[in-house]
Amino acid sequence: MRPPSIRYLLFGSLLFLLAGMAVTVGLPALDEAPPSALAVRYTPQEERGRAIYLREGCGYCHTQQVRAVEVERGTVHVRGDIGPESAPGDYAFQKPVLWGTSRQGPDLSHVAGRPPGNSREWQLQHLAEPQRFNPGTVMPSFRHLPREELDALADYLMTLR
Amino acid sequence: MSQTTVTTPSPQTPPAAGPSHEGRAARWFLYSGVFWLFVPGLAGLVMALFLYDARTQEWVPEPLRSAVIFGRLRPLHVNLLLFGWLSMAYAGSILHIVPRLTGAPLYAEPLARLNVFLWNLLVLGAAVSLPLGFTQGREYAELVWPLDLLQLLCFGILAVNVWGTALRRRVQQLYISVWSFMAATSIGPLVYAVGNKVWDPSGAYTGMNDAIMNYFYVHNIFNAWFTTGALGLAFYLLPKLTGNPLFSHRLAIWGFASVWTGQHHLLYGPGPEWLEIFSVGFSILTFLPNAAFTLNYVKTMEGAWHKVRESVALRFLAVGCAFYIVTCLQGIAQSFRGFNAMVHFTNWVIGHSHLAFVADYSFFCFALVYTFVPQLLGRALHSRRLMEWHFWLTLVGLTVFMVDLWVAGLVQGQSWSTGGIPFMETVRAMQPYYLIRLLAGLAVGAGQVCFAITIWKTARGEAAYPALRPGAALA
Ligand code: HEC
Repeated sequence: MRPPSIRYLLFGSLLFLLAGMAVTVGLPALDEAPPSALAVRYTPQEERGRAIYLREGCGYCHTQQVRAVEVERGTVHVRGDIGPESAPGDYAFQKPVLWGTSRQGPDLSHVAGRPPGNSREWQLQHLAEPQRFNPGTVMPSFRHLPREELDALADYLMTLR
Repeated sequence: MSQTTVTTPSPQTPPAAGPSHEGRAARWFLYSGVFWLFVPGLAGLVMALFLYDARTQEWVPEPLRSAVIFGRLRPLHVNLLLFGWLSMAYAGSILHIVPRLTGAPLYAEPLARLNVFLWNLLVLGAAVSLPLGFTQGREYAELVWPLDLLQLLCFGILAVNVWGTALRRRVQQLYISVWSFMAATSIGPLVYAVGNKVWDPSGAYTGMNDAIMNYFYVHNIFNAWFTTGALGLAFYLLPKLTGNPLFSHRLAIWGFASVWTGQHHLLYGPGPEWLEIFSVGFSILTFLPNAAFTLNYVKTMEGAWHKVRESVALRFLAVGCAFYIVTCLQGIAQSFRGFNAMVHFTNWVIGHSHLAFVADYSFFCFALVYTFVPQLLGRALHSRRLMEWHFWLTLVGLTVFMVDLWVAGLVQGQSWSTGGIPFMETVRAMQPYYLIRLLAGLAVGAGQVCFAITIWKTARGEAAYPALRPGAALA
C-alpha cells in the first residue's frame, strides 16, 4: 500500500492547524467581552507591581480565576470566601493575564478583601514573612525584595477586589 | 472510520543506512541535550525541596536569594527541559535519521553545526535570563523576545536541513518519520511564533484573548513539535530496534488529529461555554489516534518483546510508548468536566506533565541517545551496568513520583471540592507527599548521573566492550 503523498499530508495538517486556530482562537476573539465592573485600569504603580508579580513567578503557585463550580464551596479560610465567579470582562485591561495553572496557594482573584483589618499593611507583612501567619506554608518569604518593590506589589494586590 | 484505518498492514521498514555523512552536528546536538538535562533536573530537585519545606529557601546565600527561589526556578525547569534537553535530543536524532531515510546526504552539514551552536546559545540565554527574572511570564512562553527570535531561527535552520534533505531524496517513498519531521519543523515554529506573539516584544495578547491563546499555544506546541517529533522518532526506532517492519503506515499518520483540543485546559473557566463543549468533543475523539498508535505499537512489537531484556534502548522505547498510551488516556479523562473540575490546579496536573515530558518523550530520547551515539562514534556504549541502573532508577523513581503526585492531586481536589476546609490545611496535608516526591526525584536524578557517565565515557572512548563492526562508523 502506497503511503499518502507528502503534499497531501502537509497541507492536510496545516489546514487542520489553521482551521483549529480559526475556531478555537479566532472565533472567541470576535465576541470580545466589554470590561466588567471588576476590570481595573492600572495606575503605573499598580502596573509595576503586576510586573513584579509576574517576574517573581507568584503565578506558578497562585491562580486568578474562580470557576463556576467552586463559587459556593471554594474555601480559603471559610466556605465561599474564594469570591464571585470570574467573568471574561474582568480581564479586559490585562496584558498578559495572570490566570495560572496550579494552586500551591489560594486563588488571588479577590484577595484584597480577605485579610482582616488594614489589608495593604497585612499584605506587606505577609509577603515578608508568610510563615508567621501560616506556619508550614510553602510560600517563600520575599523580604529580600527592595522596599519600593514590595510597596508596588502590595498596591497591585489591592486591585484584586 | 476506524475500520479503514486499521486494516492496512503495510510492510514498511525504514530503508537501510544511507550514504555516510559526517554526523558531527547530530552528535553534538545529542551531547548538548544530555548536558542541558541536568539544569532542569537540578532545578526540579531544588524546587521539590522548597515545596517540602519552604524555610529551606532561607538556606540560599543572600546574594542568590532572588534567583534561587521557587517562582524563578519553575520557568527554568520547564523551559530547559523542553527547549534544551528534549528539543536538542530531537534535533540531533532528526539530523541523524533524515539522511538515512532519504538516501541523500544532509542538505548542509555546516548549517547544522551553526544550528548546534545557536541552539546552545539559546539555551544558555534561557538558563541565565530566567533566574535573573527576565521573563514574559506566560507558561511555556516565558523566554524574552530576543530569545524567542533566536528560537525561531534555530527551528528555521533545522527546517532547512530537514526539508532540503527530504526534497533531494533518492528514495521514492517517504517514510512516515520524515513526514513527521517536516511537519514538526514547519508547523512547530508557526505555533511558536503565534503563541509567543513574536511580532510584539511584550509577547502578550490582551484579556481573554491572551488566556485563550496561551492555552492554544501550550497544547499545540506540545502537539506540533513535541508529539509529532516524538512519534516520528518512535516510528523510526521501533522497527529498527525490534527488527520488525512498522505494522501500518496509515495508522501512524493519525496522531496529528488532536490539534484542536487546546481549550480543554480551561474547563469551567471564564471562557465561552461552546468552546469548552467543542474541545471536550475533540478531546474524546483523540481516542481514535490513540487507539491507532496502540495497535501499531503492539503489532510492531509482536514477537520482539523478549528483546527488551537485551536492549536497554528498546526497553526505554517500549516503556515510553506504553506510558504514551497512558498519557493520552489520562488526557481524555482530564477533559471530562466533572473530573477536570476536581483535579484542575492540583498536583495531579504536575504528575500528568511529568508523564508526558519525562516518562514518554524523555524515555524516547534516552533510547535515541543510546542508539545513535554508538552509531555515530562507531563504538559500543561504555557500561551496560550503568545503563541498567539508569533504566531502573529512572523507571522506579519516576513511577513513584507520578503516582505520588496523582494521589496528592486527588486528595487536594477532594478537599477543595468538599468546601469548608481551610486552604492551609490542604497545604500542610501535602508535606508527606512532597517528601516522597523529593526522594523519588533524587532516585531519578541518580539515574541521570549514570546516563551522563555512560555517554561521557563512551564519547571519550573508554568503551568497556569491543568496538562495533567498523562499517557502522560514521563520524
Ligand atoms: C511556592 C508557592 C508560592 C509562591 C511562589 C507564592 N505563594 Fe503566595 N501563598 C502560597 C501559599 C501556600 C499560601 C497560603 C498560606 C499563606 O498565607 O502563606 C499563600 C498565600 C498568599 C496570599 C494570602 C492569600 C489569602 O487569602 O490569605 C497572598 C496575598 C499571596 N500568597 C501572594 C503571593 C505573591 C504576591 C507572591 C509572589 C511575590 C506569592 N504569593 C508567591 C504559596 C505561594
